[in-house]
Amino acid sequence: MESSRKDDRLSATLEALRPVPAPAFAAGLDERAAAGFPRREGAGGSPWAAFADRMRSLSPRQVLLPSVATAFVAVVVATALVATNQPGTRLNIDTSGAAKQDTGGSTSGLLNKFSPSAPSGGVSESSAQPEAAEAEARLGHAPNLGAGAAPTSAAAHRDVERSAQVVLGAEPGAVAGDASQVFEAVHAARGIVLRSSVNEGSEEGAAGASFELLIPSAQLDDALGAISEIDEVLSRRDGSADITAPTIGATERLRDSQARIDSLLNELAVADTVIEREAVEAKLRLERRRASIWRAQVATLHQRASMSHVSVRIEGGGSGSGGGSWGIGDAAGDAGHILAVAAGVTLVGLAILAPVALLVLLVLLARRTWVRLERRRALG
Amino acid sequence: MDRLFGRSRGVSETLVAPAQEAPSEADLAFDRLYRECRDDLYSYVAGLLRDRVAAEDVTATAFERAYRKRARFDPRRGERRAWLFGIARNAALDELRRRGRSASLAAEPCDVDGARPDEGALESERRLAVSAALGTLAPGERELIALKFFAGLSNAEIAAVIGVSESNAGTRLHRAVTKLREA
Repeated sequence: MESSRKDDRLSATLEALRPVPAPAFAAGLDERAAAGFPRREGAGGSPWAAFADRMRSLSPRQVLLPSVATAFVAVVVATALVATNQPGTRLNIDTSGAAKQDTGGSTSGLLNKFSPSAPSGGVSESSAQPEAAEAEARLGHAPNLGAGAAPTSAAAHRDVERSAQVVLGAEPGAVAGDASQVFEAVHAARGIVLRSSVNEGSEEGAAGASFELLIPSAQLDDALGAISEIDEVLSRRDGSADITAPTIGATERLRDSQARIDSLLNELAVADTVIEREAVEAKLRLERRRASIWRAQVATLHQRASMSHVSVRIEGGGSGSGGGSWGIGDAAGDAGHILAVAAGVTLVGLAILAPVALLVLLVLLARRTWVRLERRRALG
Repeated sequence: MDRLFGRSRGVSETLVAPAQEAPSEADLAFDRLYRECRDDLYSYVAGLLRDRVAAEDVTATAFERAYRKRARFDPRRGERRAWLFGIARNAALDELRRRGRSASLAAEPCDVDGARPDEGALESERRLAVSAALGTLAPGERELIALKFFAGLSNAEIAAVIGVSESNAGTRLHRAVTKLREA
């Protein structure tokens, strides 16, 4: 009973001791509350403090949505940058030193189709040549590796055998017209048609033509340009091989053989006996046969350097047969490519940001723990 | 006849006042909370810090922080009043921590305070004794007394503010009161 009375008295005394705010403070606080608690002077008016205040006032959802949106935009922009900076044409250098251009494919095909330098939908010469030269420069190969590259001053003294394969796409009814234009192009280039086969037909796949041509190497670029303009280029493959070494070797052997023949002729002139003369004549016959072989080889090599072998095929299935136009398959390929780039960008971004975020998280956790401990310590 | 035209005369300017946004639910709730808790919060902070100036500063800071965070209040995690007192508690403890004055503060009470003219000598003496005894308590114990008797919080609310169970809060409060009584 006595204890309860004491408790009541203590409670009453404590309530009497209750601090009350000064009227001036209360009025000032009311004013600030009505004004939405503007930041007090000297309370850190820096932009960073204002930003931190703004961030603290946001709900988690208000923070999360802009963060996700920003990350998404960053991934999209990075993907676009990476995808558009990729080369439009894939180049493969084969073991013989010829540069092959592959114009199929996904994004590269799409880019080529919308490239102003390739209005017909295929790879035009003007777009292929600089890329081939660029690839050669990157790989450090000789400048005459690429068939499409213009010969340099060094290459002018060398013998280079060039070849090309061109596939044109044409409507079935246009195969005959295209074939005659091929003949005209060969004639204009003073070339030779080794073989030709033209199959006219109205059905898709039945019509087509093929040509085996020899074109003077000096006229090859012009001839290929003319052939490429006949119809849609579905694919084109150029090749070149340096035959300088075998040409020089065969020429030197021919010269040696010629010198030996001259020497044998001199021996024959001074031969006294029939036996000696017959022996020299036998050697002379043998050497002349050798010289003939070397001469033929030199001639062949010179012809290979001066005339280029070109294979032209016209497919009567039109642009759809060779994938010249952009279709569902290309779209799927492009989509897959872009998704792969986006995934790569996201992965790289995460690889960079995840350790940083982890570090920041650890620092924040450590700071929070430290503050809690300090507050507990302040309470004694 | 002028009225027939339905047009005002002598109007030289039109005052256009921007339409004010309707206050959100969080704004209204905070306004209610402020009006309900302003004095209680100050009493608690002043009882803990025993420094009028610091108490005013911390109280203002606490309301400011709570206002900025009002949109982030989650009712599932507790009462709004306990949330506000939790913010004030952190601000007060930061003040104690920053100034390193937890020991000296106990010796400089705010106006918990001298005798009042309308009270008897015995009552005045009792007030002074209790005030002095409050100064001898540890800040943690003084905090419990402030929360209970100055701010008028229930044991459940105290538990929510200091982050312990309700029974634990009751036990701690009982110990603090006993210590105060003995002092």
